[in-house]
Amino acid sequence: MVAHIVRLKWQLLRNGLLRSTPQLIGLIFAGLYGLGLLGGAMMGLIGLRFAVPSDVARTAIVVGGSALTLGWAVIPVIAFGTDETLDPARFATFAVPRRQLVLGLLLASLVSVPALVTALLGLATVITWSRSVLAVLVAPVAAAVGVLTCVVLSRVTTTGFSAVSRSRRGREALSALMLLVMIGVSVAGPSITKPLSTPGLLPDLADVLGWSPLGLAWAAPADIVDGALGSGLLRLALATILLVVALLAWDFLLRGALENPRGTSVGRVRDTGLGWFGRMPSTPVGAVAARCLTYWRRDPRYLVSAVLILLLPLGLLLSSLTGSSSGWPLAMAPVTGYLLGWSMHNDVAYDGTAFWTHVATGVSGSADRMGRLVPLAAAGSVLLPGYATLGAAITGRWELWPAVFGIGLGFLLAGFAMSNVLSALKPYPVPDPGANPFSSPPGAGGLTVILQMVAGLGTVVLNLPALALGIGALMGHSWMAWGALALALVLGPATLVLGTRWGNMVYERRAPELLAELSRLR
Amino acid sequence: MSPGESSAALSLRGLCKSYGPTLAVDRLDLDVPRGSFFGLVGPNGAGKTTTLSMATGLLRPDAGTAHVLGHDVWSDTVHAKQLVGILPDGLRLFDRLTGLQLICYSGLLRGMGRTVVTDRAHELLGALGLEEAGGKLVVDYSAGMTKKISLACALIHAPRLLVLDEPFEAVDPVSASTIRQILEGYAASGGTVILSSHVMDLVQRVCDRVAIVAAGQIRAVGTLDEVRGGLTLEERFVDLVGGQTELGEGLAWLRT
Repeated sequence: MVAHIVRLKWQLLRNGLLRSTPQLIGLIFAGLYGLGLLGGAMMGLIGLRFAVPSDVARTAIVVGGSALTLGWAVIPVIAFGTDETLDPARFATFAVPRRQLVLGLLLASLVSVPALVTALLGLATVITWSRSVLAVLVAPVAAAVGVLTCVVLSRVTTTGFSAVSRSRRGREALSALMLLVMIGVSVAGPSITKPLSTPGLLPDLADVLGWSPLGLAWAAPADIVDGALGSGLLRLALATILLVVALLAWDFLLRGALENPRGTSVGRVRDTGLGWFGRMPSTPVGAVAARCLTYWRRDPRYLVSAVLILLLPLGLLLSSLTGSSSGWPLAMAPVTGYLLGWSMHNDVAYDGTAFWTHVATGVSGSADRMGRLVPLAAAGSVLLPGYATLGAAITGRWELWPAVFGIGLGFLLAGFAMSNVLSALKPYPVPDPGANPFSSPPGAGGLTVILQMVAGLGTVVLNLPALALGIGALMGHSWMAWGALALALVLGPATLVLGTRWGNMVYERRAPELLAELSRLR
Repeated sequence: MSPGESSAALSLRGLCKSYGPTLAVDRLDLDVPRGSFFGLVGPNGAGKTTTLSMATGLLRPDAGTAHVLGHDVWSDTVHAKQLVGILPDGLRLFDRLTGLQLICYSGLLRGMGRTVVTDRAHELLGALGLEEAGGKLVVDYSAGMTKKISLACALIHAPRLLVLDEPFEAVDPVSASTIRQILEGYAASGGTVILSSHVMDLVQRVCDRVAIVAAGQIRAVGTLDEVRGGLTLEERFVDLVGGQTELGEGLAWLRT
């Protein structure tokens, strides 16, 4: 049975790699690149064998090994979908004894490229530590424990994660959590990396990590080489205990996955009323607007963009708080306008095949186009004046207020115009509703990049007049600030009207084709 | 326009659709008389869903025409779409809306007033036994509840022709009989129902007319008795479509 599971994994790996020729070519290039990196790392590890103070080797291996272990535990969760090939829940219907299943799945997870790479790196550390007979005896054991811990930890986190994410509510909570972590990292990141470059910190870090669960196994041979036999063996023992604990934890989680493979979630009554549908005008435009407003709040994918759009300008604000007199806060309104306008250019793709409702009801192209813009237009009407005022207040350059507001408004309307055409013309793949909002669906990298660039460039070009005058105002010609606002107020609406007309024409002509493309994207 | 076409609720002429090299629908002609309860049966991949999508304006045919009560679906789109209610198969719904919101959305998109839409939506939820679920998100519904809410969306604007793709799939017997009653009442009052299914027994019980589709063409069409010709629908179907594997002595180990 164990052999069966391992063979299954091998087969899946092979089939996955050999699916198509372009994929195979891509794989070969990625493989060559990866091999280069791996070769470099192994050469480095072997080179460390001859480093004169063995402290360098200790620091490098403990910090690197800890990072590797952490990566194993965390990355499969963030990029989930990477290894669901042997989802334990799929074994629920087969009566495989759990002990054999655990062993089989464990060995099967060793049959993977990352596991092979980790094993090779572990092997290389044995060479690094081949400085004494005792070290040569301990290092392979420690390396094996370290590598196994990596693999088992990744199983624990993925199985645990899938247990939570089996219900929709759990998934949404997790993506919210990940969003918070991401925000935390992006805000705190700079202040963390700064002290890292100070000398003497890495060895200290290695000392701490060497006694943490992440680094125990990697630090054990270093102690032996330094002659600290007792602490070395203690670390090895603790690392082994950790591995056993991780295995038991995985076994426990697996039991949950096998006994409740589908997961059950009980929907709760949300809203007995009409929500936004009761507040918007009862017209097709109002209906589309109400639906989009509801989605901006309930669909994690929209929620993520909403938070990003809100936060990016605040990043500009932060940069001015840390640095001295910079003009960056002035860019808040333009950046917000650009993001709001641009982010609509693939909105139809987020509907997925649910778009059939629009086709079947024969809703007009302009109603579909305009309704979708309502939530962001509402956000813009608050954010643009708000950020423009905030930027002017912080920098004290009130004479530029009309310019930054004008550019922001121009970007918003130009972006809407581009989006109204592009979203009817060509959708590109987005995560499915309910999937990880951070995952990028495969197979359309090129198209995605091109369409995003076209939308971005178009938005900038359409707003060029206001942008040019605004830059002039920034250079000191303060009358140009009002000129920028005036241009945005005239050209912006005109652009939007033209864009919507064109988008309407495209939509009316191709709505069924659009639906067909959306069903192919799945 | 020939008289035959205008008296038909749905009239398809020479419909063709190919996906790459495979021909999904091959010069298909079909007339569905007004007031009939019409069943479209066929094996998997026969082209049922493709045909119904082309008949309702969801998928543009490569060639051929489709008329709904005399209106060309692909040139007089607005009128044709007002007359049809659709329950498609295998397409998503805007499932982050509550059931009530989803029904209202379908009505409001068609330009109906809010009071009419909400009154009808509540009535539909009641008739389909979904009052409790009306406030829950559709994404949390069971498969059967999802079918029922889709049916409500198809009915909200009181269409003259209902096109239902696999309406009884994954529906429990109680809900199925509720749906049947609603559809039978609708057909008795002059509405036309066309549904696709591969459950012969069900089609035999609810439909008065049937068509058998295979490989993108109509193999037999007429009243239930005409098509059956003394056999059961299933026997006739297997006769026409063929492809049944003769078991013979195979799988002997299964008959212990």
